Amino acid sequence: MTSQFPCRQSRRKFVWDMGAGFTGLALTGLLSRDGFFERIGYGSEKAAVNPLMAKPSPTFGRAKSVIFLMMNGAPSQVDTFDHKPLLEKLAGQPLPEGKKFTNSGGRKVGFLTPSFRPFRPGGQSGLMISDFFENVRQHADKLAVIKSCHTDSHAHGSALVAMNTGKTFIGRPSLGSWAVYGLGTENESLPGYVVILDKRGGPISGQPNWSSGFMPSTYQGTLFRPVGDPILDLRGPDFLDRAAQRSQLDLLARLNDAHMAARPGGSDLASRINSYELAFRMQAEAPEAVDLSKESKATQDMYGIGKQPTDEFGRNCLVARRLVERGVRFVQLYSGGGHLEETWDAHKSIETNHGQHAGEVDRPIAGLLTDLERRGLLDETLVVWGGEFGRMPFSEGKGEPGRNHNPYGFSMWLAGGGAKGGTSYGETDEFGFEAVKDKVHLHDLHATILHLLGIDHERLSYFHQGRDERLTDVFGNVVQGVVA
Amino acid sequence: MLGRFYFLASLIAIELVAGTAFADAGDRFSREVAMIFVKRCLECHNERDASGKLVLVDKASLAAGGDSGPAVISKDPEHSNLLERVISGEMPPPKRGVSQKLTAAEIDALKKWITEGAVWPQGRKLDLYEATTEVRGGRDWWSLQPVRRPSIPTNAMLGTNSPIDAFIRAKLDTVQMQPAPAASRATLIKRIAFDLLGLPPTYEEIQEFERDESPDAYGRLVDRLLSSPHFGERWGRYWLDVVRYADTCGYERDQEKPFAWKYRDWVVQAINEDLPYGRFIEQQLAGDELSDRSEASVIATGFLRLGTWNDEPNDADEYKYERLEDMVHVTSTAFLSLTVKCARCHDHKFDPIPQTDYYRMAAAFWPGAIEPRGRELLGGPTKDELGFEVMGWTDIRQPPPLRLLRKGEPKQPQEVVEPAHLSIVPTLSQPLEPAPLGASTTHRRRQLAEWIAASKNPLTPRVLVNRLWMNHFGMGLVRSADNLGFTGDKPTHPELLDWLASEAISGDSASSSHYSSLKRLHRMLVTSATYRQSSLHPKQDEYAQRDSGNQLWWRAERRRLEAEPLRDRMLFVGDDLDTRMTGPGFKPTIQAEALEGLSQKDAAWKPSRAEEQRRRAVYMFSQRSLLPPLMTTFDSSDTTLPCVQRPVSTVAPQALALLNNAFSHERSQALALRAMEPEEGLLAQTVMNPAPSEKSVVDREDNRRIRLAWQYALGRDPSSQEMADARQHFEWQVAHFSRTQSPTQDSILPRAGIALHLSANEGVTRDEEDCVASWKDQSGKNHHASQPVASRRPRLVRNGQRPRSSVQFDGRKRFLHLAGQVVTSQAFAIFAVVNDQSETIAHREIFSNWDGAGNVGSSLFFGMTGTNAARLSDDFSGVGQVSHRSELFLLSGLSGATGTVVQQNGTDLASRSSPLGPRNLKGPYVIGQQGNIDGEYWNGDLVELLIYDRELKSDERDAVNRYLMKRYGLQSSIEQLRDPRFLALASLCHVLLNTNEFIYVD
Repeated sequence: MTSQFPCRQSRRKFVWDMGAGFTGLALTGLLSRDGFFERIGYGSEKAAVNPLMAKPSPTFGRAKSVIFLMMNGAPSQVDTFDHKPLLEKLAGQPLPEGKKFTNSGGRKVGFLTPSFRPFRPGGQSGLMISDFFENVRQHADKLAVIKSCHTDSHAHGSALVAMNTGKTFIGRPSLGSWAVYGLGTENESLPGYVVILDKRGGPISGQPNWSSGFMPSTYQGTLFRPVGDPILDLRGPDFLDRAAQRSQLDLLARLNDAHMAARPGGSDLASRINSYELAFRMQAEAPEAVDLSKESKATQDMYGIGKQPTDEFGRNCLVARRLVERGVRFVQLYSGGGHLEETWDAHKSIETNHGQHAGEVDRPIAGLLTDLERRGLLDETLVVWGGEFGRMPFSEGKGEPGRNHNPYGFSMWLAGGGAKGGTSYGETDEFGFEAVKDKVHLHDLHATILHLLGIDHERLSYFHQGRDERLTDVFGNVVQGVVA
Repeated sequence: MLGRFYFLASLIAIELVAGTAFADAGDRFSREVAMIFVKRCLECHNERDASGKLVLVDKASLAAGGDSGPAVISKDPEHSNLLERVISGEMPPPKRGVSQKLTAAEIDALKKWITEGAVWPQGRKLDLYEATTEVRGGRDWWSLQPVRRPSIPTNAMLGTNSPIDAFIRAKLDTVQMQPAPAASRATLIKRIAFDLLGLPPTYEEIQEFERDESPDAYGRLVDRLLSSPHFGERWGRYWLDVVRYADTCGYERDQEKPFAWKYRDWVVQAINEDLPYGRFIEQQLAGDELSDRSEASVIATGFLRLGTWNDEPNDADEYKYERLEDMVHVTSTAFLSLTVKCARCHDHKFDPIPQTDYYRMAAAFWPGAIEPRGRELLGGPTKDELGFEVMGWTDIRQPPPLRLLRKGEPKQPQEVVEPAHLSIVPTLSQPLEPAPLGASTTHRRRQLAEWIAASKNPLTPRVLVNRLWMNHFGMGLVRSADNLGFTGDKPTHPELLDWLASEAISGDSASSSHYSSLKRLHRMLVTSATYRQSSLHPKQDEYAQRDSGNQLWWRAERRRLEAEPLRDRMLFVGDDLDTRMTGPGFKPTIQAEALEGLSQKDAAWKPSRAEEQRRRAVYMFSQRSLLPPLMTTFDSSDTTLPCVQRPVSTVAPQALALLNNAFSHERSQALALRAMEPEEGLLAQTVMNPAPSEKSVVDREDNRRIRLAWQYALGRDPSSQEMADARQHFEWQVAHFSRTQSPTQDSILPRAGIALHLSANEGVTRDEEDCVASWKDQSGKNHHASQPVASRRPRLVRNGQRPRSSVQFDGRKRFLHLAGQVVTSQAFAIFAVVNDQSETIAHREIFSNWDGAGNVGSSLFFGMTGTNAARLSDDFSGVGQVSHRSELFLLSGLSGATGTVVQQNGTDLASRSSPLGPRNLKGPYVIGQQGNIDGEYWNGDLVELLIYDRELKSDERDAVNRYLMKRYGLQSSIEQLRDPRFLALASLCHVLLNTNEFIYVD
């Protein structure tokens, strides 16, 4: 009874721990209310007095961190990771009549169109990857490519939200929030869940993509800028230098101490006092995390930093590595921002659009995989690549070089963090139109990502308004075929 | 009456069963078996969801058996399928690998029952929800029982005349605990002011309350606060959280919902006017269907429109079911604290809400604008359908039947569900009536509202008083204020909850007007001793051990200010809070870095004018894709789902925000400026730059300022220790800033392009009356000023101080003509050192070429509006509030290719990136009225007027500002920001705004 409805036993004072950094976990009361410890089996209520303490290793899952490379706008699977030689033969023909689909945006429906770049085998595994990702192809043996992904929306806004939160409507906690809720953080001075956007703009629907939904905002993603001050409010006005601010904090501490002395038992007051000292430290430590001057020229070159068009995404990838190295739990990097061709949304031309966007990310991603591996981080860092859906195997008109949205079948890949390298999982039909074999819904993808982090997606729940909410709702199966 | 009868009847039934427990083995079914079926079998073997086609609800279904044949063979347990499966543990099936096998006693009971003939009483039909079990709530769940007014514990009434205290003390008595002593007067007035208004009391108000020894002092204070319009702003915000209020739709385009703010204003007004709760419910659900329908009541239906709205859903036709869910969810959460939406896909897992109930309620919204229509309608009815230009809801069709959806999926429609009330209270559950003849709407929502507001509805008053309690006391009597169902908490004081609920329902009428005045309930709660007790208890440690959750209410809860009162307080203490109510929301300045999250960042966010941003936070525009970080950091609500209680977090980003955010520093500086306001007209300037011999004067003045900062910020005087600490900090900072801040730049007036330069200290020709006959232009352009008519000449005033002379206009008839065309370029800059003594609400101008015959609307003029805002011609009018206008100030207006700006004392009042529209620059020009219209006369002094006939670069502009401000001893933020004493005081103020005393309320 208690384990089934812990909420009824003790709650609900939302006091948060000791000024904990960005992702301070709740006091025991809240966690037990949410059933977290009991469910995840990481310890009893009593053992959780310090919720930031290291938790016993889970019995499965190797990944400690996730780097989610979000290809905003939706890359075309048949031009990147899902090789469909038949399209060469059928080029110019319509998709067979029996194939039903929503033609997103009511665009022109054209004819089957083969890949715009040739595919070649990579690594020992011989995974077929197109020349859009010739550098990533060098890492084929690290990749578990899932070719049978499908999702619930053909529209960017809701599909992005679905990829991030599991549902097509806004308001639910995002994947990163669940990860941080489940695992806490290993570095108090940095947010546990970091989102780095493309300079061209954020994703459609904005904030709900990294929202903590009905969970406390403590778990929401923190927007991080890869240069200068990475987070908001890290620096005050110019006149207030560090010495002047230290003087302020000293006075603040004296005033607060006297205030608290008259209010015994004020753990909330003590927490806030601590949060100021932590904030003061963060001001120095957070910029350090994005200071790439400490990285060698060779490392920077590996990521394509200092060259175009790879400089920006290269920097973001290198920052992502530095963040996971420092214990950040979940990093999401967006490639593509704003609208239309500024994203992977290649309605006009796959060649031009993917040429640009893959050109920006291919080398940096390859650099990231190399760097993680040589530092021994790849095994504990799960890298996820993909967009919110895929694209149609047919064009948007006769001879037109663009492709429309396709939620019925698309490819994503996992690398490191316990993913089974050199794997091709699931299949689309012979056109690359819809997933037909070993279909993987995004709930399954989410379940798998949590699994690789050592979390059972059916047991990670948050009690909200009478219900144990889950990232995967009542769905989701771990895709064992991609787990090493 | 029926309700009570039902309740009694079921009580009797239970007693009868209990009474016969050991008497009659033949009734084993009622005694033992029925509940085993209900608890352990019916979940999967009911009429809707018959696993293995086996249904176990009545005699016939048992007899019919399932796929595997008969479940039970009378008197033959060995061959009874049912028994075999429960013995093997196959049934009930394991959950997540955990066996659900029946207990030995349960199995034994089943076995005996079968052996005895498996008697199923005739007519007895089992129902999953007939009774509460270990795993779910039934219709006998506490919150669904009629509200009954308990008697007030009399033994606890000693020393109190509040029934609330009697209930609380009675329970404390049982464990030999005492309530905390009463909070101090100062603590109490702060608590009640933040509680009722979300604003602090002033230092003077606290002093006055502490001095007032009359016994009704507190009661009068409460009455005053309850009648303040700020009360509705404070308590309206709680409701806005519940109804997921935002000004935009969310999703990709995140369009503004026009007139959403009218709903916000309606809420604030409803609370201020103490709209009866029944009316409050009816208007929001069915304001369009009421007989006394009005624009206001239609605005209230915006309640149903506030949800997110996706103009590009995956399947537009299926999207309506998502919207239905939103409406069912907000309605059932807001008024009933029930999670009806869980029953969209299946019978509720925990509460007695069968799936049909969800569709019964959803049917109320089905006749509205739920089908896909033009995007521009944003999912609502048209203006014509509503009858008003508001954001509202109404029926627009005679809807097709609503079908139950299997698993909630639009592609699996099942049987039609008729509109009806929830079945949670059977006596109140009935099908809805058809609309009256001639009605233009279906009247389904009206009936839903009446059912919710009916005095017999057991949930509505309990939910109401629990929320009131929660917001006054920090936690509800039922802690889970958003869920009074099975998975929620039980009340800490069930009798008190019901007593309050019965107080809320003042009558027994079925009409909706039976709810008591809410202000009366508020007053009852906050005048109780329980409310007024200290947040500290002499036996704090011991009691905290015994009851850490304060379930017994042995002390008050210290509370952290929510985002809104925290922000409002920061504005309030610097005397910056703009208390204007109503109207469209303002957009706060959001750091550029935070705007990067938007997909269209350039066009996305235009902050409102600085003075608009000083309004209370409840008037802040809420854009779903970009909630202001300062607010969300402090746990403001998410806006997508109803939020009944916000979490309270303590995290380092909050400290970063208060330490570093520009808003925090602006407020600190405003507070410092306020503390620096001179006593009895003493010019601040003398203290800013003192002579060494005046050290003691300076010390005294610094102490005075520090003391004032404390009074303004915290409502009290500093202790001597605090004073000493503050002084030490202040001196250290003065020394530090003196080293680190560079001295002010020299002020040299740029000479090129001056078209007019008048100074009251030079070139004035006076007449016998000391009035200005002519005034020589120093620019060399000969645009001399003059007035031939003696009675219309402004006065020249001279005194011994700076400025030595000024030209005084009277606001009625005095003005000056200027010679020639002063301005010839579309880019220009005007600087005027003036004060404004106007007491009218009329426009008034300093400089103008208005000409009714030729340049109406395109003339060039510079002055102020009737609301004391600056105006630089019609194209940039009413743009930024002039402050302290009766004292001398510098007003600057510039326009050119880089944009248009109006400044006061070198600080922007308003700006935009485009120049003024083309001006007709022809003369004649005048000073002191609006051109030739014989009106809009200036009332006040003009000391210096300087006009450039070209665009000034910003550094040139700053140089002119500095020159003039230095000349007349005017304060400017540019100057101040470099002054070590100001910086040190602002730094001290900044510390005060960061103290726990500022952030928490005892």
